[in-house]
Amino acid sequence: MGVASYIKDITDTVKSVFEGMSITFSHLVRRPMTIQYPDKIPVPIQETLPLRYRGILEVDLDICTGCLACERVCPITCITIGIDMNKETKQRDFSHFDIDICKCMYCGLCSEVCPTGSIRHSQEFEGASYNPAGLVRHFAPQPASLYKPKKGGETDPKLAVKVDIGQKYLDEFATPDGGAAAEEK
Amino acid sequence: MNETAQDQDTGFHTEDMTISVGPQHPSTHGVLRFVVKTDGEVISEAIPDVGYLHRSIEKIGEKVTWHGYVPYTDRADYLAAMFANQVFCMAAEKLAGTPVTRRGEFCRVIACELNRLASHLISVGTFGQDIGAMTPFVHALRERETINNLMEEICGARLTYNYIRIGGVGYDILPETCTRISEFLDHFEPIVDEFNRLLTGNKIFIERLAGIAVVSKEDALQYNLVGPNLRGAGIKWDIRRDIPYSVYPELEFEIPVGTGHIGALGDSFDRYWVRIRELQESCKIVRQCLKMLPKGPAISKVARKFKPAAGECYVRVEAPRGDMGFYVISDGSEYPYRVRIRTGSYTAMSIIDKLSKGIMLADLIVLIGSLDVDAPEIDR
Repeated sequence: MGVASYIKDITDTVKSVFEGMSITFSHLVRRPMTIQYPDKIPVPIQETLPLRYRGILEVDLDICTGCLACERVCPITCITIGIDMNKETKQRDFSHFDIDICKCMYCGLCSEVCPTGSIRHSQEFEGASYNPAGLVRHFAPQPASLYKPKKGGETDPKLAVKVDIGQKYLDEFATPDGGAAAEEK
Repeated sequence: MNETAQDQDTGFHTEDMTISVGPQHPSTHGVLRFVVKTDGEVISEAIPDVGYLHRSIEKIGEKVTWHGYVPYTDRADYLAAMFANQVFCMAAEKLAGTPVTRRGEFCRVIACELNRLASHLISVGTFGQDIGAMTPFVHALRERETINNLMEEICGARLTYNYIRIGGVGYDILPETCTRISEFLDHFEPIVDEFNRLLTGNKIFIERLAGIAVVSKEDALQYNLVGPNLRGAGIKWDIRRDIPYSVYPELEFEIPVGTGHIGALGDSFDRYWVRIRELQESCKIVRQCLKMLPKGPAISKVARKFKPAAGECYVRVEAPRGDMGFYVISDGSEYPYRVRIRTGSYTAMSIIDKLSKGIMLADLIVLIGSLDVDAPEIDR
């Protein structure tokens, strides 16, 4: 190796280092990317997440028909549903509806099969707990009756709101028709 | 040199050192272990020890339904989950004869190519970091963050997508998301050039890479290297072009191969340079797909209880770490009879022992980084 190539190597190195440095210093005037989570943020992160975000599961038991589709489709059986016959009212009741958030892998299969949109992913993701038992969500603390869809739309105004929310979730969560249905309307 | 040999001139006692690199070593990208025998700083043997990240994904496939296995395939390679999704779904579709809608195919390609961008950014970013260039790593991860946000918008998850389903894709790509993707591409293409100025053109970086761990064409074929590692050795082989699947035949893109313009053909720099150029090609593919995106349903009608006919098939796609294949056997029941996954990282591991002979210990890190081995993909 001659002296000329030795000096050329040094000048090339110095040049390329300064070229890199110029890019680094140009970031002084660019917009910073860092988000000061959880303190200095203008709006909570949960509100900025997209609609399809698959956060911790939530269940609206008032519009759950007890069809067990979610329990069957779950690949890791993190959903356990118990349905008993109530001897007094002669109707079927939920004895428990538990979702183990520890096991859940947020694949979204359960919320897609739900006919009423009762089980759905929320935008919530902060699920810290002191023990694993605290991560099991009990959605039926007391026995609750099953929802029966009425023909010709829901008449109870309180339930009608919930049914609409569920249906809206189903429409917006999965729109696999490519917006073709929306265009027809 | 023999163990416990006496140096003839000085009479000093010398012996080979056995060093364990990993499993918790920052530059092995995951839990990988190498048992390295060195004479001073020169490696005489580097034996890869795999199996620290084994999660028996293949066995799980026999216990869950066809639909339920798709989220598990995400975990085969968490940096490029979309490709494992796609190849399993393609295998199931091939067995059952399920058609895929045209819009579904385009959505798949868009999602996959975005995922390839994310995966290659991690690859080149951490490669620089291993060698000591901290800044490019942060720049690469910043761009990847935007891709993750886009993915979140498309399918609701940032890493384990469960997006591609049997018969199409789970959720349609909305028009707003399409504009945001093309905005990102407009922003990203100049960033690649900036990245080149920052890292690729750096003389120190070039000196560390050029001529290190040269893979000849014969070796690349004999050791069954795939993907960018094979193309880095100068062999033009890409599943997207040579065994076409999905809508790739309709798209125009180039297949970058190693040229050896710095150092030798098939060295670490060539493999790195192939990845950088694939970033640009992927941008091109996504742009074309956004333009060609047809209207229609994104998924075809598939039975909830999916039962493909008895049979077996092997399907492969071009994943960021090369040829990824699923061998699936169906016995006509609700569950797959057998799932076997073949990945590119595993074959890349086999050549490390050969290439590491005679190089320095610090260059072993360059070698691992340039082969882009990924621990979860090796063990599955």
